[in-house]
Amino acid sequence: MTGKYFGQPIKRLEDKHLLSGRAKFIDDIEIPGMLHAAFLRSDYAHAIIKKIDVSEARKHPGVVAVYTAEDFGDYWKPGPLQVPPPTAIKGSQFNARTLVPIAKGKVRFSGEPVAIVIAESRYIAEDALEDIIFDAEPLPAVIDLEKAWEDTSVKVHDDLPSNLAALVKQEAGNYEEAKKQADVVVSRKLYADRVAGAAMENRGFVVNWDERNQEMVVWATTQAPLPLRIAIAGKMNLIENQVRVITPFIGGGFGPKIMTSQADDVLLPWISMKLNKPIKWLEDRRENFLATTSERDQVHYCEIALKKDGTILGFKDVFYHNTGAYDPYGMTVPLNTQTHTVSNYRIPNFYTEIRMVFTNEMVVTPVRGAGRPEGVFVMERMMDAAAKELKMDPAEIRMKNLLKPEEFPLKTGIIGQDFVEGVLDSGDYKGNLVKLLEMVEYEKFRKEIQPQARKEGKHLGIGVVAFTEGTAVGPYEGARVTIGNNGKVSVATGISTQGQGHFTVFAQIVAEQLNVKVEDVKVITGDTNHFHWGAGTFASRGATIAGTAIHNASVLVRQKIFATASKFLGVPEDQVELCEGSVCVKGKPEISISLGELAGKANPMRGAVEADVKPGLEATAYFAPPHGATGSGACAIIVDVDPETLKIKIDRLVLVHDCGTVINPLLLEGQIQGAISMGIGNAFYEKIVYDENGQLLTASFMDYLMPQATDMPNKMEIGHLHTSSPLNPLGMKGVGEAGAIPTPPAFVQAVEDALIEYNLDIADSNLNPSMIFEYMHRSKK
Amino acid sequence: MTKLFPVSINVNGQVYERQVEARLLLSDFLRHELGLMGTHVGCEHGICGACTVLFDGEAVRSCLIFSVQASGHEIRTVESLGTPENLHPLQEAFSEKHALQCGFCTPGFLMTLVPFLEQNPHPTDDEVREAIDGNICRCTGYEKIIEAAQEASKKMSSR
Amino acid sequence: MIIEGEHTFKGPREVVYDMFNDPNALATAVPGMQKLVKVDDTHYEGAINLRIGPINASFAGVLSLSDENPPESCTLNIDGKGMAGFAKGVGKVHFTDLGDNSTLLKYAGDVNIGGTLASVGQRMIDSVAKSMIKSGLEKLEKTLEERWQQK
Repeated sequence: MTGKYFGQPIKRLEDKHLLSGRAKFIDDIEIPGMLHAAFLRSDYAHAIIKKIDVSEARKHPGVVAVYTAEDFGDYWKPGPLQVPPPTAIKGSQFNARTLVPIAKGKVRFSGEPVAIVIAESRYIAEDALEDIIFDAEPLPAVIDLEKAWEDTSVKVHDDLPSNLAALVKQEAGNYEEAKKQADVVVSRKLYADRVAGAAMENRGFVVNWDERNQEMVVWATTQAPLPLRIAIAGKMNLIENQVRVITPFIGGGFGPKIMTSQADDVLLPWISMKLNKPIKWLEDRRENFLATTSERDQVHYCEIALKKDGTILGFKDVFYHNTGAYDPYGMTVPLNTQTHTVSNYRIPNFYTEIRMVFTNEMVVTPVRGAGRPEGVFVMERMMDAAAKELKMDPAEIRMKNLLKPEEFPLKTGIIGQDFVEGVLDSGDYKGNLVKLLEMVEYEKFRKEIQPQARKEGKHLGIGVVAFTEGTAVGPYEGARVTIGNNGKVSVATGISTQGQGHFTVFAQIVAEQLNVKVEDVKVITGDTNHFHWGAGTFASRGATIAGTAIHNASVLVRQKIFATASKFLGVPEDQVELCEGSVCVKGKPEISISLGELAGKANPMRGAVEADVKPGLEATAYFAPPHGATGSGACAIIVDVDPETLKIKIDRLVLVHDCGTVINPLLLEGQIQGAISMGIGNAFYEKIVYDENGQLLTASFMDYLMPQATDMPNKMEIGHLHTSSPLNPLGMKGVGEAGAIPTPPAFVQAVEDALIEYNLDIADSNLNPSMIFEYMHRSKK
Repeated sequence: MTKLFPVSINVNGQVYERQVEARLLLSDFLRHELGLMGTHVGCEHGICGACTVLFDGEAVRSCLIFSVQASGHEIRTVESLGTPENLHPLQEAFSEKHALQCGFCTPGFLMTLVPFLEQNPHPTDDEVREAIDGNICRCTGYEKIIEAAQEASKKMSSR
Repeated sequence: MIIEGEHTFKGPREVVYDMFNDPNALATAVPGMQKLVKVDDTHYEGAINLRIGPINASFAGVLSLSDENPPESCTLNIDGKGMAGFAKGVGKVHFTDLGDNSTLLKYAGDVNIGGTLASVGQRMIDSVAKSMIKSGLEKLEKTLEERWQQK
């Protein structure tokens, strides 16, 4: 579906301000009299707080106030469950231990805030942190997931019987029966390591309690402005419309910025009201690593049962999932892992068990991929193991088991993060792989390129994987589309934007319906005074869910334009049509009225008002899908490994993707390429490491390695399939996380293939040269 | 009272005289003393490159320099390139090639590429890749930034 | 962080042991040590300034001796804290008489570090600790020389 604007590679409307340094980000907000906040964070991962003496800090010149948990009185409470656990899964256990805004009595992860200083400048606030005496008695830290699960483990939460945060068992079919029928059963223990969202802009929060207007204005780098508003209003006992949350330009989201009920958004509104002053807090990079949520970190025990010809009969996966010290985000991540483990292939019997544990580490919430990369890594690694066992080609075993287009919609029998049974709505999973193998010239690589390279002593290897991406989940989003008296169109929606290009793609959706220029559509995201219903930007749902709401509202406005114009032009509705920026009579373009003028007329004045007046060329619409739409794809990586230095060059990276209808192919490519770079980072550079005492060893870009330009392949080759989703009128599926999902398993498979003589059996999703060296060393033995 | 030092810094062609603390970072000076918010601070330890500005024509990290060190020198920030109405060719190329998403790191890339393209008007892709290797972008995967730099080199040499 | 090693001092075991129980000797030996004050027979309070990669910070702490078995062995405990984190460690020190007035010092310890020290400095801390021990032992060597000659 390509129209005049929809589907076109249109340059972004937001670029000019970003490029010229004129776009407003959170740290650009300056309010006269504004104070600055800094947090004292615990150096211990697990400790009993004995004393926090802030008396010297309070005397520090320029310091306005210093608070510890005790100073907040009854206001101090553990936060709400941001995402409750699904009640639909029978027999599941879930122990809610939500984030506390500031540690009281005990600290449960290193970096947990223990005191907050408010001062005239950030420099002074940080100086005063040094005057605080924090005395705590360290306890042994809970770090190892499997040990944490044992009843004998030290406990993160003393009031619970163990570190069990959740236990969820789901089964489709009957795995044990299937296993009995199998010719081969392959089992492995696999690890998915932890990575950071690491948006280039850290988090930030500015709050101004306006005493005179009795209004609280908040600027935040949040992916969920409306839930944040509800949370703040609830905490402050204000009605929601007394709180205005505004998201300025945000320097990347990638998941962690979805979190609310953290120290900043809980404590700063209270302090701002108490001091009657605006306050700014900006996270620094070390704080971002210590105390902004991150993700992955699972240990899987998997088993795959197959027939001799490679047909999968069943799959079993029991996995430990680290939720960190608290579990405010429910079970979104491990549920995504469950639903994505078997989503590609026909697997009649599937048993999956989540063992979610509390540890003395930072809380785990979604990071681009959100449980999907773990599920896909596990399944793809097991397919590799099965292929080896059966001496099959990795592409062949996949082709054999991939779902066919005629099998959709397919109920999976597994309940996912959206609390309903998973339904794979549409796709051509085999088609993805066929196209991928063509693009990467798989046959030629296997028969000519690789043997030739091996003759020359080069270590070239290929990895080929398939994946799905559950996207476009509910609950709902909404939008209001309004035509102004100047003929320009404003669109307001409740989600916020972190660089995805919403200002452009939403304008394209509107422009297509209303036949106005894209640049005449002004999109407002993330300002709760402009639109106050919605959930937020996550799970590749912005363009799909909010986009569909915007489309729906545009269709209503279009109908209103026709009805109103018909009245003023004196012709039946079917005789009017949209010319660019105006409405004209079919066949008589000289008889027309501009949209601006029509908008003015749609606001009737005295004497012209009808009883059921609905003023303005304006409409509000919502969209709530029954369940998520599933994008899909396949990815191939060819690596050139130097077995001496273990420097790895990615010779080729090919990704075929199907996200249904495309709004803007230029921006689609940007989304895929960006996520691929994150996937490459995850596969070979990035890793969050805690030591056995719960100390974070990777709290700067010196130790947490971000993928750089020279780490990328020369060109990311991207192919597209377009299978429309039946779940929304435009046929869209999300794409934001796609590139990050298949990259690690493709990379690992390629490395194994390149070093085939070592017969490696890699279990880790996040490699680095020394890990591969260790694998080679162990294998030689 | 903290001791203040006089500084005189030429920023984007205009000389600013201020009294500053010795520890005031150049990035904070530009942003909060002068209100030039286009220079972004991403890591404050010199790795990400978002705060890159030109110091006497050379790309440097303004988070690793104290403002007192810049006294008597010429600084150029992203604000000196183009305006939204009249973009610099490199900025135009970034937009055409979709070389930015969230845009937070972008001023740093621009200020790294401006002197690079002046010294190397017809670079190879690998040379561009090397040139931007010290700037981190989390959104784009760099490919389109390289395309944009090449597009800019064409635009700039045809002017 | 595991720290272990050995060093041969040119001096009789008793003198070497005494030196390890003398805060003044230790204070001059540890690079960056600002002060080390005896609180009682087995406890010393100190302050030290450390430079580890990007971190330059001061720490205050307690050094204590236990399991004293002069002149053969003792256990050193350190517990230090500062804005840049904390360090807590236990080290066992053995002195072996090698005859001909020389003494073999063997040390083995485990130090836990936390805070910025761990999250930013961990890559460097191993080598910093080694170089501190090396230069500390060299200083003690000199101190020993002076003391022994005085006797």
